[in-house]
Amino acid sequence: MEKYWNQEIETMSLEDMRKLQSERLVAQVKHVYENVKYYRDLMDEKGVKPEDIQSVDDLHKLPFISKADLREAYPDGLLAVPKSQCVRIHSTSGTTGKRVVAFYTQKDVDLWEDCCARAITAAGGTEDDVCQVAYGYGLFTGGAGLHGGSHKVGCLTLPMSSGNTDRQITFMRDLGTTILCCTPSYAAYIGETLHEMGLTPDDVQLKAGIFGAEPWTEEMRRSIEKSLGIKAYDIYGLTEISGPGVAFECSEQKGMHINEDNFIPEIINPETGEVLPEGEVGELVFTSITKEAFPLLRYRTRDLCVLSRKKCSCGRTLIKMTKPMGRSDDMMIIRGVNVFPSQIETVLIEQGYSPNYLIEVDRINNSDTLDISVEMNPDQFSDKVKDMQQQERALAEAIKTMLGISPKVHLVSPKSITRSEGKAVRVIDKRKLHD
Amino acid sequence: MSNVRQISVFVDNKPNQLTGVMKLIKDSGINIRALSLADTKDFGILRIIVNDTDKTCEILRSAGYAVTVTEVVAITIPDSPGQLSRVLDILGGEGVNLEYLYAFLGKSDRAVSFVIRVDDNTNAAAALNKGGIIQLTENDISEM
Repeated sequence: MEKYWNQEIETMSLEDMRKLQSERLVAQVKHVYENVKYYRDLMDEKGVKPEDIQSVDDLHKLPFISKADLREAYPDGLLAVPKSQCVRIHSTSGTTGKRVVAFYTQKDVDLWEDCCARAITAAGGTEDDVCQVAYGYGLFTGGAGLHGGSHKVGCLTLPMSSGNTDRQITFMRDLGTTILCCTPSYAAYIGETLHEMGLTPDDVQLKAGIFGAEPWTEEMRRSIEKSLGIKAYDIYGLTEISGPGVAFECSEQKGMHINEDNFIPEIINPETGEVLPEGEVGELVFTSITKEAFPLLRYRTRDLCVLSRKKCSCGRTLIKMTKPMGRSDDMMIIRGVNVFPSQIETVLIEQGYSPNYLIEVDRINNSDTLDISVEMNPDQFSDKVKDMQQQERALAEAIKTMLGISPKVHLVSPKSITRSEGKAVRVIDKRKLHD
Repeated sequence: MSNVRQISVFVDNKPNQLTGVMKLIKDSGINIRALSLADTKDFGILRIIVNDTDKTCEILRSAGYAVTVTEVVAITIPDSPGQLSRVLDILGGEGVNLEYLYAFLGKSDRAVSFVIRVDDNTNAAAALNKGGIIQLTENDISEM
């Protein structure tokens, strides 16, 4: 029997959901227009008044807001309530530029934690579970979000933060952790460490993992599931909108349900801004309709994905999004071809290599070069140079088939590529240094 | 059969990679009898024959190195002109395909020893026997 955290919302009819969204949207637009000068200017510039927004059908009339706006309005230009009503801030990792700061009222924190509670419940979590939160704590939303959700569900919560992997495993065993929350690359690393310690999945009581905050592939999911003996659930979120739990996966493991009672999704053509119909690939845009302190209308996430209202076997009616196929930030254009690191990762795992790799892109004599360092597979190690070079060529060929462009593959020692405890750095684009 | 076990180690093409392997071997008191290093643009393959193959593999593997053990043929021939050419003729005559070979120090200064890596050890050993070439066992080498 499928368990829901909030059955009424999670299984609501489309008609009721649209009604709820419309009511909230109308109120939110009014709130934002009255209280945020930055937004008022944007809307005035586009000639849109709060009265023009009567239902979700009018959403497209609103201007977009982007990361550049958030940076421009840093630190509190988009704050919609007095600071005295805020109880917390979080911040983006700042890997792609200046940090962005998001504010939360107590209600904002409650609604966010409620979204995370839905995710934990969908992963089978109940008050009988022991939930180990190995996302980073601090400004990063990963730790705080899942921590709060775990409290709501009533799990025994282990606030481990990331790092100190031996201690993670010790606590996991001593306290009988059943649910692990962290980034997928850290989950893979915990799995590797477990095996290096001579342990098997039978030595831990894990049953589920909730992994997000960075792109990962289906192949990586299967490999983590095997190494930890769990079912691995994806979770999606972004600090600008709230944090993890904007969308979460159910037992079907095919796409994530968006908590659309709080966040209305749209898919747009990233070049023209035109709204695309359900089923088409495009950039994901969110409008937060319940947030008080830092409400964003039509925020462009840069994540490319597909939305679907197809009936889900879990009974939830919340709209689903596919795992992002890449971020337009991550997307590299190499010799005119769009390349996502996730595509390369897929090939590596298919070919029996570790998903730890480093991509280096450069421009030499006006031509783009793509070099991929891959950890050699010790089981395939041969004393013959020609065998090893053949492995490099075969892998380059498989990647070429996937991408349409030829990379240079370099085999390096096992475990010589730095493992990450947070977001993995997999791409070095040296072309940017020349510009 | 008198095949000799050779250990191959994957080493990155970066400074100090070989040093790391050599230090581990030195610290464990293992003696290297024969050594060669094949290198490519990206990586190197260190091939060694030691006086304790199992222990060496264990030490290197637990330090995280990729290691593989292959059986090779080792021979000793007089140190005079034309001897190696004779060996190659013998192998070629039997259709044995040579992958690589390297020389190492024997115990006599009138003889020279070689490690020979072929695809078909059985065929190679039979051909060398027939040609009267002295083959070394792993024991012979560790006692050198």
